[in-house]
Amino acid sequence: MRNGIVSSLADATTRGYGIRAFVNGAWGFAASSDLEDAGIDRTAARAVEIAKSAGNHERRRNTSIPPHAYNDRFVSAYTQDPAEIPLERRVALLLDAEKLLHVDQRVTAGRAWIELWRTEKTFYSTIGSRIEQTIYQSGSGLQAIAAGEGDMQVRSFPGDIGLYAAGGWEVIERAALRENAARIGEEAVALLGAPQCPSGEMDLILGGSQMSLQIHESCGHPAELDRVMGWEANFSGVSFLEIAQLGKLKYGSDIVTIVVDNTLPEGLATVGYDDEGSKSVTSDIIRDGVLVGYEMSNETAAAIGRRSNACVRAQGWEFVPMIRMCNLNLLPGTVPFEALFDDVKDGIYMESNRSWSIDDHRLNFQFGCQIGWEIRNGKRGRMLRNPTYGGITPKFWNSCDAIADRASWVAWGTPHCGKGEPIQVGRTAQCASPARFRNVKVGVGYAK
Amino acid sequence: MLNNHEREELAEHTLSYSRADQTEVIIAAEDAAWSRFTRNTIHQNLAYANANASVRAIVDHRTGVAQTNVLTDAALHEAVRRAIVMAQLAPRDPAQPLLPEHAEYEPADGAYAISTAQATAQQRAELCEAIFRSARSRDFWCAGFARTTQAGISVVNSRGARASFDGTDAAINIKMNAPDSSGYAETYSTDVLDLDAAALGERSAQKAAAAKAPRAVAPGEWTVILEPPAFGEFFSCIVRHFSAQAYDEGSSFLCDQLDRKCVGSNVTIWDDYAHPLAPGMPFDFEGAPTQRVALVKDGVAAAYVTDSYWAAKFSKPNTGHALPAPNTFGPMPRHTVVNGGSKSLEQLIAETKLGLLVSRFWYLRPVDERRTIITGMTRDGTFLIEDGKVTHGVHNLRFNQSVLEALASCEFSNMQTRTASYHYSTVVPAVKIERFTFTSETDF
Repeated sequence: MRNGIVSSLADATTRGYGIRAFVNGAWGFAASSDLEDAGIDRTAARAVEIAKSAGNHERRRNTSIPPHAYNDRFVSAYTQDPAEIPLERRVALLLDAEKLLHVDQRVTAGRAWIELWRTEKTFYSTIGSRIEQTIYQSGSGLQAIAAGEGDMQVRSFPGDIGLYAAGGWEVIERAALRENAARIGEEAVALLGAPQCPSGEMDLILGGSQMSLQIHESCGHPAELDRVMGWEANFSGVSFLEIAQLGKLKYGSDIVTIVVDNTLPEGLATVGYDDEGSKSVTSDIIRDGVLVGYEMSNETAAAIGRRSNACVRAQGWEFVPMIRMCNLNLLPGTVPFEALFDDVKDGIYMESNRSWSIDDHRLNFQFGCQIGWEIRNGKRGRMLRNPTYGGITPKFWNSCDAIADRASWVAWGTPHCGKGEPIQVGRTAQCASPARFRNVKVGVGYAK
Repeated sequence: MLNNHEREELAEHTLSYSRADQTEVIIAAEDAAWSRFTRNTIHQNLAYANANASVRAIVDHRTGVAQTNVLTDAALHEAVRRAIVMAQLAPRDPAQPLLPEHAEYEPADGAYAISTAQATAQQRAELCEAIFRSARSRDFWCAGFARTTQAGISVVNSRGARASFDGTDAAINIKMNAPDSSGYAETYSTDVLDLDAAALGERSAQKAAAAKAPRAVAPGEWTVILEPPAFGEFFSCIVRHFSAQAYDEGSSFLCDQLDRKCVGSNVTIWDDYAHPLAPGMPFDFEGAPTQRVALVKDGVAAAYVTDSYWAAKFSKPNTGHALPAPNTFGPMPRHTVVNGGSKSLEQLIAETKLGLLVSRFWYLRPVDERRTIITGMTRDGTFLIEDGKVTHGVHNLRFNQSVLEALASCEFSNMQTRTASYHYSTVVPAVKIERFTFTSETDF
């Protein structure tokens, strides 16, 4: 929905299969939508031909297969099947919410959206696995663009990309779009007249959705073991979380514990089994601030003497399965959200991502937010526009001295994370509460 | 893969099922293969083939779209039914114009090469092996890909538009890794036989070797020379500004600067689907002929592009830049070209007393849309230029820089190159920019 008009009312179905073949020490993958017997034969032969072509040129290497075969059926948790919600009701929700964004003529564009996915997945492998899965994932959001006097400001809700989670229509209702739309429109307009975020070094409080982005970029991606091993070097880069640092690197302060939990009911990446047939588990990445694990596949886990923690996903049937960050969970702290402000003398509170960039080792990052507020002597003060901050990943996480409690914890879903060549879109989650960081460089996006 | 006759037949057949006021059917097919390598071995070797039908139905100014990759009669009929049902439930849009009528379009030479369409896994493996030889001979390791793709599309609508296009593409990307440095090289062509993997492997290895033992340099304002992969990515960050929709909603710099001088007089930017380095689809996803559009002419912001919707809304000609429906982004330039200058890259370097040569950028994102401020990192070969010579590799840097301010005082090389990533493809020269702001550094 854009400015009262449905700009995209679409219903898409795609059906096909991928075949991964291991021949003479190398993998080949071929995928097709041709479901005729002859088409399946051609695709299987293509996978073998591709594997053989690489085997001729590659050093032979052993692969690792899942240690267990499973015969199972998994259905993700949901309360209300979105298919039962009439299209008229979905459109009416968006029309109402989008209209409420237009609080002022300076709101030049309002957007509201709902995305609903149901995935039927069948996994068969030659070790005997026969796995059927039905995955429900849903999301919705709002965005207001305000323009005037040579400037443009944007506000989104919930977070910066909406609320996405495993589940059905209840995820859309949880987002409370109607209830928040007018406030989002008002904030977009107010930002046009707000003072510029200052530059300097000060304390920083990040809202929950910005914490999600921070975890995604500076922990989730660098902890992908294929990236650590150089499998993504040309495109999305390598990682500073080198294998030699496992169990040694002080990644963050003692209060920082981040686990990968692919069993989390509301996690956008939750499945029963990953796309190699490994069963979902929970495992540590950062424990009490120390690097202790990775997101792994069978082959990469075997290379460091561990078992896969089921982090392999393919975007769809046409894509080769690869390691994805899945559900990362920053364990909540012990203080209420408002208490984060109490002993900040001079700082900024920032919410909702607007700009994100990190180097190809995942160290030097710079993020911008849609909105900020100055903090003076423990109190939230004026609204600030164009807030940005930056740092070096381990230094930044070691400056974290408070994480808000479970009351403000949200499993923020990221529906369109890119990785790989050809690029694949992954659905990930980063669960987080707001958190406080000391002595952070702010205003870096406008520094001269 | 479905050929153009098969696609057109399917499209006509699907169209015949529709009783909507207006209907558009797109049949698109793709067959792509990638041999992806790291540490001098192929580690992801894949191919996929797919074909998709998209039906846009318009009923009383209400629009619905349904898509499927099941191309049986029953599934196509069902797609038409679903599109009409959704259209009937959509709010009425009085501004919804008629779909384009049939119009002749001019195909671009060289968009399709049979050699690429028929490329085998073995051919791609041999391209990779030629690169591995450059790496092994120096005890380096490389990561990248060799890919070959073919794609075809047919667009038909109930107002008579009929358009078909088949294209191919081939590419190699290499990041060559030395013990404490790396070097990048890439090449693109519609014809796989144009790709010289051995030469490209050598180029990336020489870059990696030249960048060894990189030194720290201080962030600040520098003169930079951006090679085409770096400049192409930097420039592509503002392509969306040339959309009629971005102009309408106030997120484009054109809102302030249309028909005004926005960059140096030596800057001319086209959208040109027929450029010989990147020949592409001569019509848009509504079947309207794509026009060659001067986006920036001699430094003046000259135009935004339109589709049928935004042309009608602004009472402007349809430039034929529609994206596939459903589309929330509006029309978009798809084949940008930045004109070259008169000097070679070597001359630009020779005339630089102190500066940085940048091979490639990474993770560019807008910081401030209206001011075209972009942030991002250098990677895979950043060098110090002293007294007209490339003298040393340097640590990577983060920049925050307005594209318009960068192009206000710049000089282009005389050789254009196609460069691309998953979200853009463009033809650009190298560029020397007098003042470019780096704001922080790395230790690698």
